[in-house]
Amino acid sequence: MRENRWRQRITVYSFMGCIVGVAAVLMIAPEKEVSQSERRRLTKQPELTTTTLFNESFMEDLEKYLLDQFPVRDGLRRIKAYFAYNVLGQKENNGIYVVQGQASKLEYPLNEASVKRLANKMQQIKEQYFPQARTCYAIVPDKNYFLAQANGYPSIEYTQMIEVLHQELNNSAQKEDFEYIDLIQGLTIEKYYHTDTHWRQEQILDTAEQIEKAFGIQLDEKTYSRHEISDFYGVYYGQAALPMEPDTIVYLTNHVTDTAYVWNMEENMEKGAVIMPYDERAVLGPVYRLDKLEGELNFDKYDVFLGGAASLQIIQSPASATDKRLIIFRDSYTSSLAPLLLTAYREITLIDLRYINTKLIGNYVDFEDADILFLYNTSIVNNSSMLK
Amino acid sequence: MLFSSIVFLYFFLPFVLFLYFIVPTKGKNFVLFSVSVLFYAWGEPVYVLLMLAQIVAAFVLTGGVERFRDSKAGRVFYILSVFLPFAALFYFKYYVFFMENLFRMQPKALPLPIGISFYTFQIVSYCVDVYHKRVDRQKNLITFAAYVTLFPQLVAGPIVRYSEIAQTLTQKVHCHEVYSRLEKGIVRFVVGLGKKVLIANVVGEFVIEVAALDHRTVALSWAYAIAVALQIYFDFSGYSDMAIGLGGMFGFEFPENFRYPFISESVSEFWRRWHITLGSWFRDYVYIPMGGNRVRMTRWIFNILVVWLFTGLWHGAGWNFIVWGLLFAGLLVFEKGLGKLWKKVQSTNNLQDNKFIRFMWKTVKHCYVACVIIISFLVFHNGQLQEAWADIQSLVGQGKHITETMRSSDMAVCVYLLRNRIGILCVGLIGSLPALTWLWTAIGQRLEKSKVGDIIICVVQPVCVIGLLVLCTAYLIDGSFNPFLYFRF
Repeated sequence: MRENRWRQRITVYSFMGCIVGVAAVLMIAPEKEVSQSERRRLTKQPELTTTTLFNESFMEDLEKYLLDQFPVRDGLRRIKAYFAYNVLGQKENNGIYVVQGQASKLEYPLNEASVKRLANKMQQIKEQYFPQARTCYAIVPDKNYFLAQANGYPSIEYTQMIEVLHQELNNSAQKEDFEYIDLIQGLTIEKYYHTDTHWRQEQILDTAEQIEKAFGIQLDEKTYSRHEISDFYGVYYGQAALPMEPDTIVYLTNHVTDTAYVWNMEENMEKGAVIMPYDERAVLGPVYRLDKLEGELNFDKYDVFLGGAASLQIIQSPASATDKRLIIFRDSYTSSLAPLLLTAYREITLIDLRYINTKLIGNYVDFEDADILFLYNTSIVNNSSMLK
Repeated sequence: MLFSSIVFLYFFLPFVLFLYFIVPTKGKNFVLFSVSVLFYAWGEPVYVLLMLAQIVAAFVLTGGVERFRDSKAGRVFYILSVFLPFAALFYFKYYVFFMENLFRMQPKALPLPIGISFYTFQIVSYCVDVYHKRVDRQKNLITFAAYVTLFPQLVAGPIVRYSEIAQTLTQKVHCHEVYSRLEKGIVRFVVGLGKKVLIANVVGEFVIEVAALDHRTVALSWAYAIAVALQIYFDFSGYSDMAIGLGGMFGFEFPENFRYPFISESVSEFWRRWHITLGSWFRDYVYIPMGGNRVRMTRWIFNILVVWLFTGLWHGAGWNFIVWGLLFAGLLVFEKGLGKLWKKVQSTNNLQDNKFIRFMWKTVKHCYVACVIIISFLVFHNGQLQEAWADIQSLVGQGKHITETMRSSDMAVCVYLLRNRIGILCVGLIGSLPALTWLWTAIGQRLEKSKVGDIIICVVQPVCVIGLLVLCTAYLIDGSFNPFLYFRF
C-alpha cells in the first residue's frame, strides 16, 4: 500500500496510546487482592532481592502479578472465551463447556489405576479401623454423566469405573465387605447447580433417604423450611468466562439442623494440639455458616454448608431421632448432604482425606458401633492420588 | 523476556521507544545496547556476562585481525575470533551430547544460554566478513555491542549480518521516515504476535492433548502431524515477524526469515523460504567455502551432507536433529538427480508444452513437499527417534498409537479433539498460505484509488491492529501456555 500520512499517524498513535495507557493504569491503579469471578486471591507484588533476581523468580512472579492486575481482566477473559467458542469453533474454554445452560468440566479418560488405588485405600482403612463395621459406599456422578455423551463430549466410562470399583472391593476373602448404594439412578442434571459442580441440597432429599435406608433407618417424612441465597456464581462460572445466569442456593432447616452444632478440626487447633468437641474450650459452629457469605475473601457461597472444606468435622445432633453414629469419608458434595442426615444420626463425622492423612484419623475418630460410608464423586475416584 | 509477555508489551516496549526517540542520535546505539542487555538479563541474569565477554573478545580479536592483517598473527587472531564463539557454543550446547555418545560419559549438563546459537552465528559472520574485507571493522565497541545484542533479534533471530544493518547503526533514520517505519513495524509486530499467541499457542495445546493419548485414529494422527508443522511454523515465523517489526520501529531493516514455505514445490525451494537467514548463513560461510556445487559429484554430495549435518545440529544436540538434517541432505541429492532425469524425459518426449502433464507434475511436487514437511517436523518435534517413528507409523495406521480394538470412549475422545480444534487448524492452514496477504494487498490497492477508500483504510488498519493486540492480550491473560520453541536453539 502506498504511504498515507494519516494512516501512519493514526496507527502509530493508537498503538502507542494503547500500550502507554495500559502501563499507566497498571502503575496508578490500586492493587486488587482478589478476583471474585475466578474465586481466588490474586498474586502479590513480588519482592525484588538479589536472590529473587538471580533465580529469576522475580521476573516470573512479576509477569504473574501483571497478568492478575491487568485492567479489565474479566472483560478480556470473556473476549477470549467468545473468540475461542464463536470464531475458532472450540467446544470448550479452559476445559469448561456450557450446554443446556449447564457448565461442566471435561474429565477423561477413565483412570483405572486411580479407581484401583481408591479401592485399595478403602480396604486398608476398613481393615485398620473398622473391620467389623457395616460399610457402604456410593458414587456421585459429575455433570458429564448427564451432559457429555449426548452433546458430543468425551467423558469417563462410568459403568466401567463402578465395575472396577466393585471388583476391587469385593476381591478380598471376605465377600461383600462393602455394600454399594446406587445413588446414580435417582439423580438428574436438574439436581445440580448450573454454574457449579455440586448438587443442590433441596433436590437430594431422596438421596439422603436412600442412604438412611441402606443403613436400616426408616423415618417419617422430614419437613424443612427453605432459605434462599441468590447470586451464586459457581466454580465453573469463572473458569468458563462466559456470561451465565447465577444460581440460587437453597438450604433447608428444621429444628434438628437448628439445634445441631459443628466441630471443625481447623478451627480447633491450639499450639499444635487439637481441642476435641467434648472439651469446654472447643469452638463449635452452626450447620449453615451464613458468615461465609460475607467478606471479600469468602469466594464460594457453597461454603454456607458446614463452612466449606475441612479435614475433619464432627456434627452433633441432639434432636436426632436415633442415637446412631455415622462416619463419612467424603468430598465437598457431602457438605450439603450431611445436614439432611442429622435427623437419623446423633453424630456424623466427616473425614476428608484430601486434607488429613489416613494414619492420623485414628487419633481423633472413634469408629466403634458407627455406620461407615465412603461417598466420593467420580472426579475424586478418577484422581484418587489426592487422597492422603 | 518474551515478546508475548505483559512486561515486554506494556512496559519494556513503550519505555524503550520513548527512550530511543528522545535521546540524540549519538546516544541511540548506547540506548539500544543498554536496553538489549536488560532484555537479555531479564531471562538470563547470569549468562549475560558470557555474551558480553564474547562481544569484547570478538571486538578485540577483529582489532588484531585488522592490525596484523597480512601477517601470521592476523591469521591467529582470525582463527581465535572464530574458534572462541564456537568453543563456547560447543561447550554449552554439544559437550554433554558428545561425551555421552562418544565416550559413554555423563557429565553434568549446564543450562543452555538463551539464543547462544543466534548470537554466535552473528559474531562469527562478522569476524569472517572483517577478515575477508567484506565489511569495515566497527571501531566503536558500543556500536558493535549494539549490533550483537540488538534485542529484537537477539534470542531467536533472524540471523542478521553486520553488513545488513551497519548503515542504520551508523546513520540513524531521518525524521520524515519515522512514522512510516513505525507504522510498518507496528503492523508487522502485531501480526507476528497474533501468529504466536492466537495460532501457535492454541495449536500447541492440541499437540499436547493428542500426544497425551495412548491411542489415536489415523485421521487424528494426520491432524496431529499437521498441527506439529503449523505450531513450529507459526511459533518461529511469528517471532521473526515480531523481530522484523520491532527492528523496523527502530529503523532497522532485518532480512526476511520466512516466505510462505508451505507452498514450495521442492525441498530446495522450501529451504529458500524457511529460516532463510540460517540457510543463507550456511550457504555463505560453509557450503560455498567448501566449493559449493562447482565440484565433482561425490564432493558435492559430501558438501551437502556436511552442511545439513551442521544445520541439523544447529537446532539441537540430539539424534532427532541429526536425522532431520541428514534427511534433507538426502532429499536434496535425490531432487537434483530426479530433476535432471525429468528434464531428460521432458525433452525426449516433448512434454514441455503439455499443460496436463505440467499440472500433474506440479501437484505431485506439492504433495511430495507436504509429506516431507509433515514427516520431517515429526522428527524435529520429537526428542526421541522412537517416538517420531511411532508418530510417522500412525499416519499409515501402524505402530503403537494405533490399535484395532479401540474402545468407543477412546474413539469419542479422538473425534472430540479433532472437532474441538478443527477451526484453529483451518485458520493455521489458510494463514500459512499467501492468500490472506494477497487479499489484504488487493483490497488495499483498490480502496486507495478513491478518497473514501483511503479514509476506510485509515480507520480499518488501526482498528485491526488494536483489535489484534487486545485479542492477543486476552489470550495471554487467560492462558498460561506460552512457550517459544526457538529459544532453546
